[in-house]
Amino acid sequence: MDDDNGWGRLQGRTVQQRIVSFIEDRPAQQVFKLSMEGVKQIDASFSSEAIVAVLRRYRGTKGICLVDVTDRDILFDLDLAAARAEVPVPVRIDGVIEIVGGHASPGNREALQFALERHQARAAEFAEKAGLSIANASTKFKQLWEQGFLMRNESVADSGGVEFLYQRIG
Amino acid sequence: MATVFRPSECTLFLPTGWINPRKFEDALLRCGDALGTSFMNVVVRIATGTKMTIDVILRVLSFCNQVVTMTKRLVLIFEGGHEDTGYLDRMGFFEHLQSSVEVSPRRPIFSRAAIHRGGNATLVEIERFSGTAPADVSLINRLGTAAQRSCATRSDVTQIYNSVSKIFSELINNVSEHSKSPLDGYAALQRYERGNEVRIAVSDSGIGILESLRPALAAKSDPAANLNDIDLLVEMFRKGISRLDDQDRGNGLMVSAHHAIRFKANLDIRLPRQRTLLKPANDQYSQNMAYSTAQLPLLWGTHLSFALKLA
Repeated sequence: MDDDNGWGRLQGRTVQQRIVSFIEDRPAQQVFKLSMEGVKQIDASFSSEAIVAVLRRYRGTKGICLVDVTDRDILFDLDLAAARAEVPVPVRIDGVIEIVGGHASPGNREALQFALERHQARAAEFAEKAGLSIANASTKFKQLWEQGFLMRNESVADSGGVEFLYQRIG
Repeated sequence: MATVFRPSECTLFLPTGWINPRKFEDALLRCGDALGTSFMNVVVRIATGTKMTIDVILRVLSFCNQVVTMTKRLVLIFEGGHEDTGYLDRMGFFEHLQSSVEVSPRRPIFSRAAIHRGGNATLVEIERFSGTAPADVSLINRLGTAAQRSCATRSDVTQIYNSVSKIFSELINNVSEHSKSPLDGYAALQRYERGNEVRIAVSDSGIGILESLRPALAAKSDPAANLNDIDLLVEMFRKGISRLDDQDRGNGLMVSAHHAIRFKANLDIRLPRQRTLLKPANDQYSQNMAYSTAQLPLLWGTHLSFALKLA
């Protein structure tokens, strides 16, 4: 940003182009940290263009997490704009990942919390903890990945088949 | 053939005392439909000792400029003489008043707003902005800083600064989306010590936000197109409604309302032929707390004001 405040769609689109360009220049990188250091305020229109639209664009393929948030009030407008667009925005505050904006469905909240509390999560682990079938736990994680709450990587299971590892973003 | 007497002049009289948006509408109703009918001469008469809230000042300014834009004659009379122009002069009213408006006894020779700009902590000079171009970023910063200055001694000054800046940013940017008018818009803020209130006002002279929104909603078969005016206004401020098929649009008014409700703010909305007052209840604006008056005299534009209550 050229200013320490982000006002309006026009300024938001300029920042969006810079962020997209930065990401596109690093095709191998999966997770990006978007620093809010030095940012005093951003309004909802700016947030929609510069953050929400970018996260939606890369949903399921790249993970983007906001870091260096020193004032929670800065998230007020972003939260409202992202919630209306149903886009979850991961934010790292005091070492903990929080989600602002889009909300997980009530049926998936426990699975999301389980995944956010660890570096990576397997459906089988959550199934055991929650007393669900592996297929049911797997469906929940898949939905959370599709909606942009989690990242997903393939791994080889003990059985030799493909297993998905779900990771929090950031 | 019968001859019908049609008076060619009407008078908007603003009496002594505080004039808030409701009293302004009362005066406008007594005046008649100056903009919507064939009156060619309009007089705005301001009584001695009249004090207008900031939103009313912007509406009077817009009204005067709209009258002369329609090639009608407008005379603005201060009954208390030149002394009574001081406050409006200090706000920059005359800087923005079109030159074809006649002022009696006379326009100030020098603008006090230009001389003393930024010098009064509780007063923010009227800011002009384009009705068609996105807001100048420095304008938003100026208005936010002015709010900060006017509440500098309060412990919640940062929250006030944040919310006021964001409300102005969204409301002013909204004008270029909906006004569809080349006429300028105006923004201003004032803190009222006695009422412990900060009033934020933004006015344009466009077609009115409902006129801008309804055809677009109908064109995309949005169910909101079927709402009555009050319900549609409430939904715009409660959930956000966009004329575009884009979930990232239509946030501005909704987010402004969320900021204002943190301060239990009443929201006054004046559209070309109607006025609606929304009062917050249970941390939101709702149809149950909407007070609307329709079939008012014409005043082009969308005139919004939030009255933020300071604890």
